[in-house]
Amino acid sequence: MAEAEIALDIQNLKKHFGGIKAVDGCTFQVPRGRISGLIGPNGSGKTTTFNLLTGVLQADSGSVFYGEEDLMGLRPYEIFNRGISRTFQITRIYREMTVFENMLSASSMKMPVGEARERAEQLMEFVTLTKLRAEYGGNLSYGQQKLLEFARALMTDPDLILLDEPAAGVNRTLLNNLLDHIHHLQEEQGKTVLIVEHDMNVIMNHCEKVFVLDYGVKIAEGLPEDIQKNEDVIEAYFGHR
Amino acid sequence: MAQREHIRNFGMLAAFTILLIYLPWQVNLYLRSVLLFTMMYVVLSLSWNIISGYTGYVSFGHVMFYGIGAYATAILVVDYGWHWVPTLFVGVLLSFVISLCIGYPVLRLKGPYFAIAMLGAAEGTRVVATVWESLTHGGEGIGLPNVENSFETYFAMLVVMLITIVVSYWVGHSRFGIRLNAIREDEIAAESLGINTTFYKLSAFALSAIFPAAAGGIQAYKILYIDPETEFFILVSIYMKLFAMFGGKGTVIGPIIGTFILYIVQEITWVKFPTAHLIAFGIFIVLVARFMPRGLMGFAVDKGWARKGMVH
Repeated sequence: MAEAEIALDIQNLKKHFGGIKAVDGCTFQVPRGRISGLIGPNGSGKTTTFNLLTGVLQADSGSVFYGEEDLMGLRPYEIFNRGISRTFQITRIYREMTVFENMLSASSMKMPVGEARERAEQLMEFVTLTKLRAEYGGNLSYGQQKLLEFARALMTDPDLILLDEPAAGVNRTLLNNLLDHIHHLQEEQGKTVLIVEHDMNVIMNHCEKVFVLDYGVKIAEGLPEDIQKNEDVIEAYFGHR
Repeated sequence: MAQREHIRNFGMLAAFTILLIYLPWQVNLYLRSVLLFTMMYVVLSLSWNIISGYTGYVSFGHVMFYGIGAYATAILVVDYGWHWVPTLFVGVLLSFVISLCIGYPVLRLKGPYFAIAMLGAAEGTRVVATVWESLTHGGEGIGLPNVENSFETYFAMLVVMLITIVVSYWVGHSRFGIRLNAIREDEIAAESLGINTTFYKLSAFALSAIFPAAAGGIQAYKILYIDPETEFFILVSIYMKLFAMFGGKGTVIGPIIGTFILYIVQEITWVKFPTAHLIAFGIFIVLVARFMPRGLMGFAVDKGWARKGMVH
């Protein structure tokens, strides 16, 4: 893989909750215009890292640069408005709002209403939720909620998309559709995608670069095929041989 | 589709307005007063609905803004000789400024903490109105000149109610309202999806504070005497909440229907059962909360009589 420009530069990021070191000096660079994966055993700090990158949590120390811009201390909406969108591990769709309202809620106020409605319709069609546009979000199946959250995250056409376990609960056909769209975003529009995922098929077959966390520290990074053979990664997942 | 729906809804509002213009000429003073106070509670419950129904911040202290409006009118009319109409604008402005000052710290709290803080703020305002005698005449209250013509306060309340309905309708059918709903549903997700929650919450809070001030001012001029106990009475906050919840909070039509039904039910039970009316009223509320937790509009949606959501 040729060296790519860095989209997100994370240096020595730390977040402790009392005695628990959720993220403990994490350093990695996400390449621009690529699909990257962030993996690790349960409790390794992946979701906390996502929360730190998107401003949901404030880091104790370290730095996060998006291009030239320092994201530390910014609130989530300010980070979002810089072109970084995300989904959540456990879906956070608006349960008592319709699918269409969920979509419109994420549109920029600068975007004319007509344009926002049109984009919402297109994205709902892509994730096959058009027929459910007038249904409450809370009445959708978990897989459909995942798709809705994914579509909602694309409403403002973000440059960097952080997906927290997009495959969980989504059936294989829809997942393939979703992965196709992620590839389309990356290949045709040059979007940067960072995926947290436990489904190794998704990581190994769709990511160009993989970062591995364990106990809040990056223990490995590289191509998927190299990560599969990495002794530290195998030990983190399966313990000592 | 949406265009047709707006035309239909505004047609209904026009018919409702014509009826409310026609009615006062056909009824006696008592019924005219009942209609006026029903419209006043429509204003209060729709205003409460903006911050609590749309945004999910349940306020138990909105009577504060109603009381501020009442005092602004009473003080300016009695002590400064103003005509009562411009005093309404002073009350609105004062409530707007106070809502920003109180809202900024209080809206950082959530759930019961916010509710209790608002209750405390309303009580604090009542205490200020009681002890600041040089301005508010303290516990003695303020008597207003008896020059009120029941028609002028009636039509003033009608105008304030129509403005409140139109603003509520706009909030409910705009992206501003959708963003308030998003905050109600999940504030972290809303903020992560580009919504400046502080700005939106504060805007909703300020918007919900100005109409009660106008209603309070008209009410003060109507009843001719105000004191801190009645103008900052917690039951007023509870009524606005109940009426909105009975009709269906987070909707425009819900608080209007809820108020018209419950206020009239309350008035009838008060006449028929002067001592037991609060018990009868309480039982009615418990039954509604048990069997229709999302109010009449939620019931209508469940039955398929109304569409889900506000924006289609």
